[in-house]
Amino acid sequence: MDNKEYFHAVHIIEDNCTGCTSCVRVCATEAIRVRNRKAHIDPARCVDCGNCIVACKFHAIIPQSDPLELINKFKYKVAIVSTSYFGQFSEDISYEVAKQAIYELGFDQVEEEAMVTDFMIQMIRDYVRKHRDKRPILSSNCPTVVRLIQLKFPSLLPNIFQIEAPMSILTRYLRDKIQKEKGLKEDEIGIFLIVPCPAHVTAVHQPEGAYKHLQDGAFAISMIYGKVHEHIKRLQNQPTPDIVTYPKGLTWALSGVQADLVDCEDIRALSVNGIDNVIEILSRVEDHYLDQYDYIVLRSCTNGCVGGFFNVENPFVAMSRIKKMIKEGKDTPTDLSELELLYKAGEFAVAPLSPRPIMELDKDIKTAIVKMKQLNEILTTLPGLNCCACGSPSCYALAEDIVQGKATIDDCLVLLKRHTLENIQDDILKKNKSKE
Amino acid sequence: MLDYAVAESEMAEYWYIRPGYEKAVQKHFENQQEPEVSLESLIREKDFNEAGKGSAEVKNVLKRLGIDPAILRRIAVASYEAEINVAAHSLGGAMLSHIYQDRIHMIFMDNGPGIADIEQAMMPGFSTADEMVRELGFGAGLGLPNIQKNVDALHIVSEAGDSTMLEFLIFFNDNGQ
Repeated sequence: MDNKEYFHAVHIIEDNCTGCTSCVRVCATEAIRVRNRKAHIDPARCVDCGNCIVACKFHAIIPQSDPLELINKFKYKVAIVSTSYFGQFSEDISYEVAKQAIYELGFDQVEEEAMVTDFMIQMIRDYVRKHRDKRPILSSNCPTVVRLIQLKFPSLLPNIFQIEAPMSILTRYLRDKIQKEKGLKEDEIGIFLIVPCPAHVTAVHQPEGAYKHLQDGAFAISMIYGKVHEHIKRLQNQPTPDIVTYPKGLTWALSGVQADLVDCEDIRALSVNGIDNVIEILSRVEDHYLDQYDYIVLRSCTNGCVGGFFNVENPFVAMSRIKKMIKEGKDTPTDLSELELLYKAGEFAVAPLSPRPIMELDKDIKTAIVKMKQLNEILTTLPGLNCCACGSPSCYALAEDIVQGKATIDDCLVLLKRHTLENIQDDILKKNKSKE
Repeated sequence: MLDYAVAESEMAEYWYIRPGYEKAVQKHFENQQEPEVSLESLIREKDFNEAGKGSAEVKNVLKRLGIDPAILRRIAVASYEAEINVAAHSLGGAMLSHIYQDRIHMIFMDNGPGIADIEQAMMPGFSTADEMVRELGFGAGLGLPNIQKNVDALHIVSEAGDSTMLEFLIFFNDNGQ
């Protein structure tokens, strides 16, 4: 398990990296180190939260999604659009046109995450009621949160909502349906996601707990935005197309609204967003201090998926637009009976997730204790400035790196300076003595 | 249950040992072994901003030692509860955590004012604690009974008008083996 290779949508371009350590300081899982003046991401620790992308002033950390040309490999091309996409446009652009523009990119069918929001809420309530012994149930939609729990809060793995995310549920449903309806083979159908964050790209390429083949690729909203905008300009002058939309389902992009929807007479829901808040809340759940909640919506980005790093609009503006669309929109009659049948047949279940222990110093407790003692000893000699000049995020992290053989005490520049000064003083003293 | 109270003139004492752990607990207190790792943290009176940090620190160390997640959660609850108790109900104090290869021994000492009747303090709604606590929104909340539920041994010594010492043991393996 330790040697497993992890896919990540966040990459470092070494030529651009100056070794400034800005990324090291903001990493939520202490996954980045600067060694030999270049930043390196530990793939076992990275949760694709995107903090480092924002912190880097040198365009050295780049999120990646798949190239759009990938769709040409398939006979029938399907796009599933994340809810946050519809908050990215000025208000003169209609929901229908924004959706129509996706077809223009070359897709045969465009579906929305928003279509199954209502169904998701029903499944969540049903799941929460069936798993009262495990409360609070923790939302599983945000791939960063799921990986964070695997890494830092393994005791909370049983509390995760073990049902696929809405875009994966749609994928499962559509792949079968299209095969039957269009008489196509499974590998002739390409299903792609249009996503708000690098974590969703990672989840497409390396899904956690998935039983079946899901998506064939993921495209960043920011990557298609330029092309989409050109199409929109042209489409705006044409008559409004007859396209189905799901305004009431757009709530999925907003963590707070989503919690409000799950909340009911016998279910108390809490909404948390922003990765630092998520970490704090998970720690309190671990202490059994939030047991009064039945369900907790956890999203790594500000305000939920509208805060994802692939969005082009500010999370608060996008949230306000989406709220307006929800308010003004009408319910879209949708037949969910087929989805319900699949749910009852267990088709959307996710395999129990295994921990990815990154914190333990050693598998064997005796060795771990020895290392902990060494760590504490090293810590007393370090200056405690947490200056990051060594390339580790804190003095504690450096001590840990030294114990694990990933750094040496000489990496500490402050100690190096002190020793050099002492050596110079010693030299001067010796010289003065010899003169006498 | 092996819990019993020793009533003395001014001093109250309370013992609880989880059935099956008698030998392991006795061995711990008789041997006076040196702990492998020790942590110390001050608990200030009514400082609800800081209260909980000592327990968080212990939790971080235990995660680095690779303690089983289910055991870790029991330690987290008992330790957080005890720390908040000192902050909320006493004049302040300190917590000491001694980690051994197979167990943790945590000691909470405060500067008074002492618990007059420990038996009574152990009482409130022990059997109904779970639901009540949850409705109140305190999570663990109900203090001593909740600590007892999560530990393998609990020992409280208190003098009315003076200090209270609470200590507990949690073993990393079943039955302290």
